[in-house]
Amino acid sequence: MRKHIAKILLLPLAAYLMYALFASPHTVVDDGKIHVRYWFVSGPEEVIPYRVTQFNKTHDDIFVDATPIPWNEHEKKVLTAILSGNPPDVVSLIAPVQQWASRMSLRPLDKLIEQDDFDTSYVFPALWEEVNYEGHVFAIPTHTASYAFFYNKKLFRNAGLDPENPPNTWDEVREYSKKLTRMDDGDYTQIGFIPAYGNLQVSVLLANELGAKFLSDDGKTVHLDNEQMVQSLEWILDYYSDYDFDKLISFQSGFGYADQHGFLAEKVAMMILDHTFLDGIDIYKPELDFGVSAIPSFEGYETSSSTGNWWMAIPRGAKNVKAAWEFMQFAVSYEVQVKEATLMKQRLMPANINAAKDTALTNNKKFYNVLIEQMQYAKTPSIVPLVNGTFWREFTFAQERVIRHIQPPRQSLAQGNKVIQAELIRAKEYDIYVRQNMELEEYQ
Amino acid sequence: MTNILEYIKHPLKRKQALAGYLFISPWIIGFLVFGLYPICMSIYYSLCQYDVLRIPQFIGLRNYSDLFFNDNYFWGSIWNTLFFTVIRVPLVIIGSLLLAVLVNNAIKGVKIFRTIYFIPSIITGVILSSLWLWMLNPQYGLINSMLAYIGIDGPLWLNDPNWSKPSIIMMSLWSIGGARMLVFLAALQSVPQHLYESVELEGGNWWHKFKHITLPLISPIIFLWSILEVIVSMQVFIEAYIMTKGGPLNSTLFYNLYLYNKAFDDFEMGYASAMAWILFIITMIITVIQFKGSKRWVYYEGEGAK
Repeated sequence: MRKHIAKILLLPLAAYLMYALFASPHTVVDDGKIHVRYWFVSGPEEVIPYRVTQFNKTHDDIFVDATPIPWNEHEKKVLTAILSGNPPDVVSLIAPVQQWASRMSLRPLDKLIEQDDFDTSYVFPALWEEVNYEGHVFAIPTHTASYAFFYNKKLFRNAGLDPENPPNTWDEVREYSKKLTRMDDGDYTQIGFIPAYGNLQVSVLLANELGAKFLSDDGKTVHLDNEQMVQSLEWILDYYSDYDFDKLISFQSGFGYADQHGFLAEKVAMMILDHTFLDGIDIYKPELDFGVSAIPSFEGYETSSSTGNWWMAIPRGAKNVKAAWEFMQFAVSYEVQVKEATLMKQRLMPANINAAKDTALTNNKKFYNVLIEQMQYAKTPSIVPLVNGTFWREFTFAQERVIRHIQPPRQSLAQGNKVIQAELIRAKEYDIYVRQNMELEEYQ
Repeated sequence: MTNILEYIKHPLKRKQALAGYLFISPWIIGFLVFGLYPICMSIYYSLCQYDVLRIPQFIGLRNYSDLFFNDNYFWGSIWNTLFFTVIRVPLVIIGSLLLAVLVNNAIKGVKIFRTIYFIPSIITGVILSSLWLWMLNPQYGLINSMLAYIGIDGPLWLNDPNWSKPSIIMMSLWSIGGARMLVFLAALQSVPQHLYESVELEGGNWWHKFKHITLPLISPIIFLWSILEVIVSMQVFIEAYIMTKGGPLNSTLFYNLYLYNKAFDDFEMGYASAMAWILFIITMIITVIQFKGSKRWVYYEGEGAK
């Protein structure tokens, strides 16, 4: 009897194991439609975006199954899905596209673009540049973040500065910052501008303004220690000499998120921020009296900026390529982008230039024009795609060594450059090997 | 493990053996698939360039030679990790032993004290790190506020390369009242009373009791925990990952954090596998040294007088 019980217990288990091993992991509802699996990075609300609901309303033959994935670790989640051989048909991500492309994790879109005569001029040029890698297009930009110079008008007035006249050059920023800095009992209570605070790397921005070139044309040689970058760090070092470094670090460590953010807490008077920060102001400090202007530049140079990359792509190994492509085109079309932007809680800027400039968006939103203007000067943060992580890590270390007076700029950058170069050589060798030995139908 | 042949020949025994294997199969299959296979593959990958998404490229021992001779952070991360281990392990062992001795006293309400000392250890690593991030904050942190109260200008803690490692060690002492203390307490209570009485008869004080009776009798437990703590300390990761990301100036770039960066930021799985094997070998060498040294101070009751 006992044996029978064991058998009875084991049978369903075995059946379940067999099912789990061999069954297709996603059940397809047979409603005659093509089901496109779409993963998108979402905030905690997990709202299904307008592009999906509208697409499903207007299309009879294709249905988009949208799954929100949390921002945290989203890259690893999608990479594992690709590795498993059963990825979603289309994804929306926020990550360096070129790095993804360099790992051959995305399907090149050139043929699809050609077939459908897809107009690529709709998008901000800096964003289009970003989705190209070694002569192929790997993604379609959907949104961007645009950076600008934010300053606190109230603190300007308190310091006797004209709130309608923000600094235009970096040397002015330095002068203004001194006037905007307050101390109490030997500790800082307010500072004008901190170059190493915020998610935009000011020193790389400065180097870009000066015309820095970080990678040789053949993509084989890195120059983190280029002349402009050295100049930029020298300027930063000089800037820090106006302040007591330890006290500054201590002051900066008191900043946090939300209303603890340095700019929102009115402890930092000037900052380079992206426009999604406007939402932060609305939520945590609507009464903040602030202005937004073009990012300052060095005397005689043009302003510079950076992009944020929100994009859509078809992962390697995806099944419903055609349907996914149709959905992608729909998602970045003019009407959808405008409508979606007006519905969004978070103010992302449409990648579609016309949509971004549409009066429906520009009219009721202050500062929008400055932010659109700034996109003309934007440069991609993907500087060395093959070793993106190493590049930014080494840059951070090099900058830290400089501002902590461990090494002078040129030596410190050269030391970092050596590491990046060695990594790049390794990555190139591997890349060549893989392209010769790995057979992928997408890449034929 | 009598005679396997006997089992194969005899139908009833064969059946029994089969049933036995069936019962342990969940573990065996689990171990083979999720344990042994990845371990073996990591040896192979440590000889390759491999980014998970694409095929591995065999490059022989280059990962190892690059680690030893061309890596700016490898030796630094080993130094950071050894520094952490060498300072932390003795502090943790002595600290929890002292606590155990304290709560071993038969005073009123000792159980409450035991609970109080145990409570901090129930907080998990990530939360503990976030908590200490605030306690160590130079501007608003509890520690510097308290120091300011008595007129000391506190350091920058995690923001100062000279203080960052000591800060993390200090923080890891938070849980000295945890499982370790309980095990020491149990060991202390298993020391036979009559041995203490004989010390008293000889006219010895508490120190003599502790040195000549308690320590030798609980030395196997101390030894066991010192091995476990070394292994745990060599793998220090969460604190640095949450609080410092390895900075400032790589002063908290511990071995496992560097390994993690290589594996999951750069997707250099081959390189990371090689690093994992080196860590395994280092830890093994330290453990062997501990075992060799233990003969001089660990006393096992069964061995008789030495």
